[in-house]
Amino acid sequence: MQITRRLALGGALGGALAASMLAGSAFAQAPTNIDLFFPVPVDGQLARDMASMIKEFNDGHPAIKVTPVYTGTYDETLIKTRASIKAGKPPAAVIMSANFITDLKIENEVSSLEALIKADGKTGEQFMSQFWPALRGNAVLDGTTYAVPFHNSTPLLYINGDHFKEAGLDPTKPPQNWAELVAAAQKLTKREGEKVTRWGVSIPANYDYLGWIVTAFTMSNGGRYYNEDFPGEVYYDTPSMLGAITYMRDLIEKHKVMAPGVTQGPAATTAFLAGQTSMLFASTGSLTHIRNNSKFQLEVGFIPKNVRNAVAIGGASLMIPAGVPEAQQKAAWELIKWMTSPEKSGWWSRATGYFAPNMAAYDLPEMKDFLAKAPQAAVAVKQLQFAKPWFATYKTVPVRKALEDEVQAVFSGKKSPKEALVAAQKAADEILAPYNKETALRNF
Amino acid sequence: MREISTATLATRHEITPKLGYLLVLGAAFIWVVPFLWMIVAAFRPGAYGAIGMASILPDYIPTLANFAEAWASADFPRQTLNSAIIAFGILAVQMVTITLAGFAFARLEFPGKRVLFYVFLLQLMLAPVVLIVPNLQMIAKLGLYDTLLGVMAPYFASAFGTFLMRQAFNDIPRELEDAAMLDGANWWQRIRFIYVPLARPAFIAFGIVSVTSHWNEFIWPLMVINSPENRPLTVGLSAFTRGQEGAQAWGVIAAGTLFVIAPLAIGFLGFQRRFVNSFVSSGIK
Repeated sequence: MQITRRLALGGALGGALAASMLAGSAFAQAPTNIDLFFPVPVDGQLARDMASMIKEFNDGHPAIKVTPVYTGTYDETLIKTRASIKAGKPPAAVIMSANFITDLKIENEVSSLEALIKADGKTGEQFMSQFWPALRGNAVLDGTTYAVPFHNSTPLLYINGDHFKEAGLDPTKPPQNWAELVAAAQKLTKREGEKVTRWGVSIPANYDYLGWIVTAFTMSNGGRYYNEDFPGEVYYDTPSMLGAITYMRDLIEKHKVMAPGVTQGPAATTAFLAGQTSMLFASTGSLTHIRNNSKFQLEVGFIPKNVRNAVAIGGASLMIPAGVPEAQQKAAWELIKWMTSPEKSGWWSRATGYFAPNMAAYDLPEMKDFLAKAPQAAVAVKQLQFAKPWFATYKTVPVRKALEDEVQAVFSGKKSPKEALVAAQKAADEILAPYNKETALRNF
Repeated sequence: MREISTATLATRHEITPKLGYLLVLGAAFIWVVPFLWMIVAAFRPGAYGAIGMASILPDYIPTLANFAEAWASADFPRQTLNSAIIAFGILAVQMVTITLAGFAFARLEFPGKRVLFYVFLLQLMLAPVVLIVPNLQMIAKLGLYDTLLGVMAPYFASAFGTFLMRQAFNDIPRELEDAAMLDGANWWQRIRFIYVPLARPAFIAFGIVSVTSHWNEFIWPLMVINSPENRPLTVGLSAFTRGQEGAQAWGVIAAGTLFVIAPLAIGFLGFQRRFVNSFVSSGIK
């Protein structure tokens, strides 16, 4: 192709003229570009689901252009968000692990949403009333709204119905309490001599997951895990947690129905899907994945109780980091409201297995049809009546790891539960000390 | 490698050459098992929880479904290009900086040389994670946030490379440099014509270490990059491997990993003999 110099020059001039004419109108309509940080806690498919969801939003909102930025795990998303705030480049919105909001608030790294809610003519309370009550504790702090629940979970007991029938158990009645859980696990564990060919039960013990499951057992044992009203206290060295850890240790050492050592979440799920484990403690967030890939009768039940039925919520909320300019805040707020509306909340719930935080999602016909076909998904919603806020403290991640490291040592047979909890409490207290010095232990 | 091992054993007359050969074959087999498993798993149908997932025997009809899913999950050509720009861009700049710094520490005399060298070595002790925030602040100030140059910049100087080149240059006889000086060569001519050619094995060895480590890096590019079009392979593919609540799709992970390592693996196989020789003569293994 040959282009003469004159033609090229003319084209360039014409283009420049057209561009300068357009500039006036284009400036007014230039879309607000914002980034949304999102982790993928379940599987790769969800990264694509997220991309298609954001595309739908962009198509419907020409004034806003959202770029979804995949940011690894929940913990990595926190690191990246903090680093970007410190570098002066905060994203406009983040899907953040629901229990990190407290720590972000203490460090002044999260924006209050009150002004944006007020601009819509609502109070914070009116706005939050559309979400399940159990979710509000991690989103509203000291009466101020900082986050909007996006996808939430509770832990569930997944059971392999085929194994239950084979062992003479009723798959429609999953174990309700700790005694029934041990009894079922003993019947389900298969041994060939000393070698175990099928484990009765499995608990994921990787970081993040383990802390959450320990919370569930501790709460079922009457415990609290942390002080809901003051982020400088955790209750590790307590009878309720000692009972929970001892029970979990006994599943391994005394009853020999759970594999010793630290099982990663994905490996635990894979073993359950492959029929190598009969019962699995896992998030409702894995439900769609497990339902789609299990080749047996799948049933789910509440977390078995000892003292009472109680679990902590899990999952993530949408938040706006500190230091986001006003125009971007407004664009992010449009996105947040859209993503947490009943329709989108319900759609994401069906795609993932997380329950929909927006209560109105369950009144929609497509959700009713879905629950009729997938009654397992309703169990998580029923368990919500027993749900409590997720532990959230000053420096949540290190405080959580202080416990997880010790519990992993118990699972590996290196420490007794009491030793582990004393050590965990000591480590956590040291991490929390600077905060307590500024607050509860302040000198007057 | 195996010729060398068998030769040593044979010349020492401790083990017969045949037995040495067998031993090395056994070691090679153990080393190659994970790779074999990865290839077998990549072609295995039924990604989740297939009973035979752990089996290394290809007892199935091969499928390309895992490759299709891995391919669909990310813009591979673009991300491969980004990874290549990052890894080789870093290497290109490092080659200049480590040569000059290595030469300075090996041959120039200046006050505080020893202290400065130890300060350089101290960098090797720093865990990269503690540098994330200060580095990111600097990158943002320079206007390099969300750019490939921002990913590369912190690695332009290399303490390890400087140390390596200093050692390599120190091993080169001073007489060669003196002869060049008599012929009127200035400092950069001495580097260009005496030091660099003689230290080539060390350069190649460093190049391999540098390229593989930056090709495989995850957390730093994750921090710097937001735009999908600037992502390297490791970040683009991590959606499969970072999920904590799902089961892992081993077949897709295996297929995706094959995509990620393919460019480097092919390059290595192509120049295998040269690489091995340079490792042997530079003393890094």
